[in-house]
Amino acid sequence: MIVAVAISVAVVVLGSLIPLAMVLKTAFSSEALPRYGEFVTSRTDLTILRNTLVLGALVGACGTAIGFLFAFVQTRLDVPFKRILHVIALVPIVSPPFAIATATIVLYGRSGIITNGLLGLEYDIYGLDGLVFVLSLSFFPVAYLSLLGMMRALDPALEEAAMDMSASRWRIFRTVQLPLLAPGLAGGVLLLFVEALADLANPLVLGGDYTVLASRAYLAVTGEFDTTSAAVYSVILLAPAVAMFMAQRYWLSGKVRTTVTGKPTGSVHLIRGWARWPIAGAAFLVAVVILSLYATVIIGGFTEVFGVNNTLTLRHFREVLFGQGQEAVTDTALLAVIATPIAGLLGVVIAWLVVRQLRATASWLDFIGTLGIAVPGTVYGIGYVLAYRTDLTIGPFTLLPNLVGGTAVFGGALAIVLSYVIRSMPAGQRTAVGALAQLHPSIEQASADLGASQATTFRRITLPLIRPALLTGLCYSFARCMTTVSTVVFLITPETKIITSQILNASNNGRYGVAFAYCTVLTVLVLIGFGAIRLLLGSTAALNRVASKTSTG
Amino acid sequence: MAVETGTFGAVLAGSGVGALRLEQLRKTFTRGDETVVAVEDVEFEVEPGEFITLLGPSGCGKTTTLRMVAGFEQPTGGHVWLDGRVLDKVPPQKRPMAMVFQSFALFPHMTVADNIAYGLQMKKLSRSETEEAVNLALTSMNLAGLGSRSPHELSGGQQQRVALARALVVQPTLLLFDEPLSNLDAKLRGSMRAEIRSIQQRLGITSLFVTHDQNEAMSLSDRIVVMNKGRIEQVGTAGEIYLRPASVFVADFVGRANFLEVSPQRVENGKAAVHAFGRDVVAECHDDVRAGEASYIVVRPESVSLTASSDPADGTVLNSVFYGTTAEYEIETITGTLIASEPSPDPERTLAAGTHVRVELDASRSYVLRKS
Repeated sequence: MIVAVAISVAVVVLGSLIPLAMVLKTAFSSEALPRYGEFVTSRTDLTILRNTLVLGALVGACGTAIGFLFAFVQTRLDVPFKRILHVIALVPIVSPPFAIATATIVLYGRSGIITNGLLGLEYDIYGLDGLVFVLSLSFFPVAYLSLLGMMRALDPALEEAAMDMSASRWRIFRTVQLPLLAPGLAGGVLLLFVEALADLANPLVLGGDYTVLASRAYLAVTGEFDTTSAAVYSVILLAPAVAMFMAQRYWLSGKVRTTVTGKPTGSVHLIRGWARWPIAGAAFLVAVVILSLYATVIIGGFTEVFGVNNTLTLRHFREVLFGQGQEAVTDTALLAVIATPIAGLLGVVIAWLVVRQLRATASWLDFIGTLGIAVPGTVYGIGYVLAYRTDLTIGPFTLLPNLVGGTAVFGGALAIVLSYVIRSMPAGQRTAVGALAQLHPSIEQASADLGASQATTFRRITLPLIRPALLTGLCYSFARCMTTVSTVVFLITPETKIITSQILNASNNGRYGVAFAYCTVLTVLVLIGFGAIRLLLGSTAALNRVASKTSTG
Repeated sequence: MAVETGTFGAVLAGSGVGALRLEQLRKTFTRGDETVVAVEDVEFEVEPGEFITLLGPSGCGKTTTLRMVAGFEQPTGGHVWLDGRVLDKVPPQKRPMAMVFQSFALFPHMTVADNIAYGLQMKKLSRSETEEAVNLALTSMNLAGLGSRSPHELSGGQQQRVALARALVVQPTLLLFDEPLSNLDAKLRGSMRAEIRSIQQRLGITSLFVTHDQNEAMSLSDRIVVMNKGRIEQVGTAGEIYLRPASVFVADFVGRANFLEVSPQRVENGKAAVHAFGRDVVAECHDDVRAGEASYIVVRPESVSLTASSDPADGTVLNSVFYGTTAEYEIETITGTLIASEPSPDPERTLAAGTHVRVELDASRSYVLRKS
């Protein structure tokens, strides 16, 4: 246990706390302080701040609305093809972040196939409208999944009770379901707000003149080499992001459990009236748009210039798989394969420490572990640059050689793996915390009682029982490693290339065919990874019939 | 459901004696800013082979006490002794005891046989020894043929027996039970109760059992420890706590009781003379009862006999119910409402509501307590 704690602490300190501390240190250095004065008086800077918040709010609202629409159709409507709808809603989770953005430009941009070619419009997609469109479609699955879980857990007896008192469906929706789901909806809005705030890739590809804090900070580092300003932007970005994230967690943890309790009884009464059609229609329309975008990704990879020259070609894939891109593909896959098990295990260990071992310090550990998701990737990237650009020394001793930059050890791979671990660990940690909380402590106590040591209990009892959660956590972690961009764009070196930053370059240079080929390859790699994880850990052993919680006297 | 424990007992040869002593046990929790005392001043001894039950309402500290014995909770003060050894620094996995949990806590991802074998594997028994012991445990617990099943494929009673077998097979010096019957239905609870008692008696393992059910406590235990608000109210046999309860709480919690306010005229030789329903009654009394001080006479419903009589009448029947084995009455009297229970009643002759009755108390089964 001591070893487990030591390793977890070391990784978290190196990968998360030191970089963040460096950002704060730089942002509050005497050199940086005047920048705040400039920020609040600068019209440009204030516009950037306003842009960021407006984007976050709009994406939070639109994304949650779409998520709710999908969850409602899934749980409450009697319509066909719900399964397909569910699968389509999950696709954005495993695809790289700007697959949608790039496809949107091609389909709905200034010379877009649909907007210009089909409808003859001169529509400028670059800017706020395009960003809201793309980010809402990219992030709504998060809101969808959490709302789906909540709506499934809602006790149908509550609805039956309302029906019994002769309330209409609309009235039940308004007075029973909506209030009960309010924490979930608010949580969704806040979470998507944070995601939109933190997003770097889409504003770079699709932002146009619409600059947000993340892209401004990125520009400060990569274009102006002004790390002080970058740190200042980071702090201004960090504050609302972390605040909203914590608010969201507090909201969900505090309220949902008190409203949705008990074993659901009775059965859900699906809506069978005419009203189901317009609602389902809206969801299917969104699904069709998503499908059109992914179809563009796939077709775009196999055509010369999709929409302009539709000749089929393998040129782009050849470049990605056997040409310039080969290095990036192997590097990305290798580093993700190294990082995923570390992240998964660390997540489980931290979850175990939080739920079972350390009661007093638990919430702190949980919080620190979750920073990887709450803190925008851009901020981490800047933190890594600040912390590890030079050797870390104390007096004459070199504690750590520089991890970032052209001369970094392992060509910067160490920093990339570290950032992967930190950024993807929270996924595993969360699912494991959930699974452990459901596992009654008496199961582990029974094992201790029969003479098993703590380590044996963990290995033989706890780990097998939370295996399904571990599996989910690993899949999430792998997908996140493979598709993350906002941190690694700061860490890539000439020696170590990463697919996502290659897509970014290709997209920005208008080489959409190559970008699409990369996206397809990346998605296929993620799916292969899922398969491999499932194969290695065995099929899911359901966590059924685990002793239910019982009160003690 | 005969349980063959003769052969099973042989496996258990070599267990310790199992003399348990709790010394001044105390446990406090901090909840926010305040300190909650869960257990205070808990002290009693369990003789080798004895079956002791901790009985009390939920929140009385009985489970916390048990968990301190098992080592799952660290006492804030006091010590747990087993066979002359103090266990303060011994972690749960090193304590020679086995617990049967309320939820059974069977490992859901293992078969029944693997569950039972688990503790033996921890003792590093050879594969063949383990297999032999598991098979023996399965047959003696009426689980033969179920070894390869998953726990959730078994009935509640079978799960209970697996949990018991898993605990017994490691040859514990002390067997701990944390309300193990509360997850079973009423009928099964009765038969499991008998099964647990007969196995314990044949194997002679010292046992500590926690329950809030007085029937369980009375049918299983050699002695019962009644707890309330973290403290011990009384330690005694079923007979003692029922007929000579040490406090109003015990009298009220164990069985049903009528409490009649009295003022003892004389107290001598452990008996008090009191006045009830215009008659003198001499009944046994608690040590702290003093003449002239406000007291209760505790009368069990079955010690109240009624005869229909309008002159002189002590009360009126408010309500009467025929239950088959007994008839239950509520009587309105000048000293309050009284409950009475008539054994083997004749349904034709139960007293109807409104009947005026004379009340007779059985002094030999009544007890006088100080009104605290």
